[in-house]
Amino acid sequence: MATDPLSATFAALADPTRRAILARLADGEASVNELAEPFPITVQAVSKHLKVLERAGLIARGRSAQLRPSRIQGAALEQAADWLAGYRAVWEHRFDRLEDHLRRIDGGTET
Amino acid sequence: MTEAVTAHEITIRRVLDAPRERVWRAWTRPDQLAAWWGPSGWSTPPRNVAVDLRPGGTLRITSVADEDGAEMTSVGTFTEVLEPERLSFEEASEDNWHDGATSTITFGDLGDGRTEMVLRSTIHTTDEMIVHAEAGMSGSVDRLVELLA
Repeated sequence: MATDPLSATFAALADPTRRAILARLADGEASVNELAEPFPITVQAVSKHLKVLERAGLIARGRSAQLRPSRIQGAALEQAADWLAGYRAVWEHRFDRLEDHLRRIDGGTET
Repeated sequence: MTEAVTAHEITIRRVLDAPRERVWRAWTRPDQLAAWWGPSGWSTPPRNVAVDLRPGGTLRITSVADEDGAEMTSVGTFTEVLEPERLSFEEASEDNWHDGATSTITFGDLGDGRTEMVLRSTIHTTDEMIVHAEAGMSGSVDRLVELLA
């Protein structure tokens, strides 16, 4: 269950539709319907992609229930890809090593 | 003028296949901390680990790069020591990385020989750090999209 620190960001960016959505949002905010237009997929599917992008901190969405316009989160992208991810990475890595350590001493070799 | 500070939070949850007391020892005994704290490619001699396990006490660990002997030191101050369920500590600001961080680690006994470990960290940054991050950002999305296309 080791998680790569940037996995949320990269998992979000790994999908071509999500990259296209991000590229569209780089030009300005847009509603789900506007974002769905150029794609041969349902609004519902686009909505799912937006959730992934939002969870990764790459976009923010308006709170109005109807439109919820999405906009790109430049600072969040930078933070997610930079220091916060770095801080998290340090801990994830540490915990990986702790897990290994606990497995090693499992045989009763603990001193 | 006081600079505005923003708090960011991260949570990391792990279920460890070891009883809580053993996890606690791994966290608090110098010889055991030495075995896992540093990144891979670095070693931590047990003599480089100092644990003053009490509120106000210091945790200090210096790891050494296997390749060139470079040193890296982690320093924290314990703010709460509640054996065997909770450990809290503060880290001071360092190298523009952050403007101080506080972390709490809870160890939950799952009752089946496993332990749920949860780290909650609050990391403080100043507006200046965010502005620097945003300044380095212009065009980054386009570059990323290009890179991954």
